[in-house]
Amino acid sequence: MIGLEHYLIVSVVLFCLGLLGLIIRRNLIVMYMGLELMLNAANLALVAFSHYRNNLDGQIMVFFIITVAAAEVAVGLALIVALYRKRQTNDVNDLTSMKL
Amino acid sequence: MDLSLISLEVGVALLGLLILLIDLWTPEERKKHLGWLATGGLAAVFCYSFSTFDQGDAIINGYSKDALAVYFQGFFVMAAILVVLLTMSYAPRIRSGISELYALTCFALAGMTFAAGASSLVMLFAAVELITITFYVLTSFERHRLRSLESGIKYLILGAASSAIMVFGIALIYGSTGALDYHEINRAALASTEQPMQLLFQLGVIMVLSGLAFKLAAVPFQLWVPDVYQGAPTPVTAFLSSGSKAAGIVLMLRLLAEACPSLMDEEWLRQLLGLMAAATILYGSLCALRQRNLKRLLGYSSIASAGYVLLGLVVLNNTGAQAVLFYLAGYIFAVLAAFTVISVVSEESDDEDISILANLHQRSPLMAVALTLSIVSLAGIPPLAGFLGKFTLLRAVFEAMETIPGLPWIIGAAMIGVVISLYYYFGVIREIYWGTGRFWEEKKPSTEPLDCPRTAEIVLLMCLFGLIGLGLFPEPMLSLAGEATSNLFSASR
Repeated sequence: MIGLEHYLIVSVVLFCLGLLGLIIRRNLIVMYMGLELMLNAANLALVAFSHYRNNLDGQIMVFFIITVAAAEVAVGLALIVALYRKRQTNDVNDLTSMKL
Repeated sequence: MDLSLISLEVGVALLGLLILLIDLWTPEERKKHLGWLATGGLAAVFCYSFSTFDQGDAIINGYSKDALAVYFQGFFVMAAILVVLLTMSYAPRIRSGISELYALTCFALAGMTFAAGASSLVMLFAAVELITITFYVLTSFERHRLRSLESGIKYLILGAASSAIMVFGIALIYGSTGALDYHEINRAALASTEQPMQLLFQLGVIMVLSGLAFKLAAVPFQLWVPDVYQGAPTPVTAFLSSGSKAAGIVLMLRLLAEACPSLMDEEWLRQLLGLMAAATILYGSLCALRQRNLKRLLGYSSIASAGYVLLGLVVLNNTGAQAVLFYLAGYIFAVLAAFTVISVVSEESDDEDISILANLHQRSPLMAVALTLSIVSLAGIPPLAGFLGKFTLLRAVFEAMETIPGLPWIIGAAMIGVVISLYYYFGVIREIYWGTGRFWEEKKPSTEPLDCPRTAEIVLLMCLFGLIGLGLFPEPMLSLAGEATSNLFSASR
């Protein structure tokens, strides 16, 4: 039987993978994928808790998160494309026009 | 549900849409004047916000319209009016879409006004994201400048990461209490006795607080500040350091006061906030010491101010919250005046080095006076608003000294921060009156008169009025702040 703890373990693993990807990878698109992974880990946890507690509030919250994540991606990808047009790069190590 | 409760918030969002619509029928050369429409609309909303001040508390599911919400809403609208006026003086440097800039300011403001009343985690999340996503666009608004674009991307990645952490924290709080509304969370948290659930709840609260600390620019979530402040268009930077920061503070205040009374007796929460406050003050003050770029300098100074605000949160009582509210009121006027002067002065040379201020007292006495007074206020020297703000904050902390161990260290760090900040703040003032330009350039700094656009003049005069008025006659504002926080921490216990 799959219980709450299994969902939570998957959710925590997903969150850590996303955070790790964000920290280790230097490509903006891949970093963005890591961020999405983190958000979806939270979604998974919310839905699992909601099912376990027999309370629908958590699932409503998930709808909010999905909608906001879509808006965030729309803005984020637009910015990344604008940067690519300007600098021909997607690498964060090249974002060095401002220094101390 | 009674829609009239959120008429102010909806009005602000509608104003943004209205500006976008009118933009379609406005010829290119007149779009700049849409700012007057935005200012007028916001001024109407500002007056309206006072009419709702004394109507008592009203709470609809997850949203409370109490004195605290109305205080912050008036505060945000005031900041937005000044920012829109500043944007109008900045308009010649925006290549396209000036009306979108006004509209986005209104949308960000709508997010802030919602944040002021958010008393459920759903509302908190939606308000934070409305503010943050709008600011991604605003910071990178000058797409043709690489710096603006770059700062937008840095804000995007770090902001999205912090909101992901916050969302996970929300999931943990929900999991441990089964509720999203603050009062229900509090009830469930007080009732719960299981150790694992309490741990989960505390972890969730810490994660949500760190998401909010990002908005506040508190250590260790302050890394984005210098770059974003430098790269973003100056009016956006001004709004970021006034409105966005204050939104983080009101969300934090409400979360701590309404959802976490069960944690009030826990030692670690105060220690965590105190450590953050001390580290933030010291980091901001020390990093600003050798800074020559004015916008970065103010960025570090705004980190330090976030530390002072956190100091007011450490004590977790009404006096502390009242001091925070008063400090913020003085703070926005100082910050907006400083950014306005920087915006006007940097236009000529397209540079933000501190040496552009040389001879400002001959070139434009008004701007020199405004910048001097705002810096003096930020440094916390009597008789301006900033002094009283810091004074009330420190007094609130002193009063709680006996009840909280470790507090003397934190106060000591704050005092050191104040002393260090005098050095770099007076570096700016020295540059205005005794600056000799750049040592590596032969030519002397110009003494030609420098024109200040009319809208920027209005902003400066309003800010001066606010700074001096709050400094000399603080009682009305203090009592407003006291009224707004009078049953914040006591009611829910």
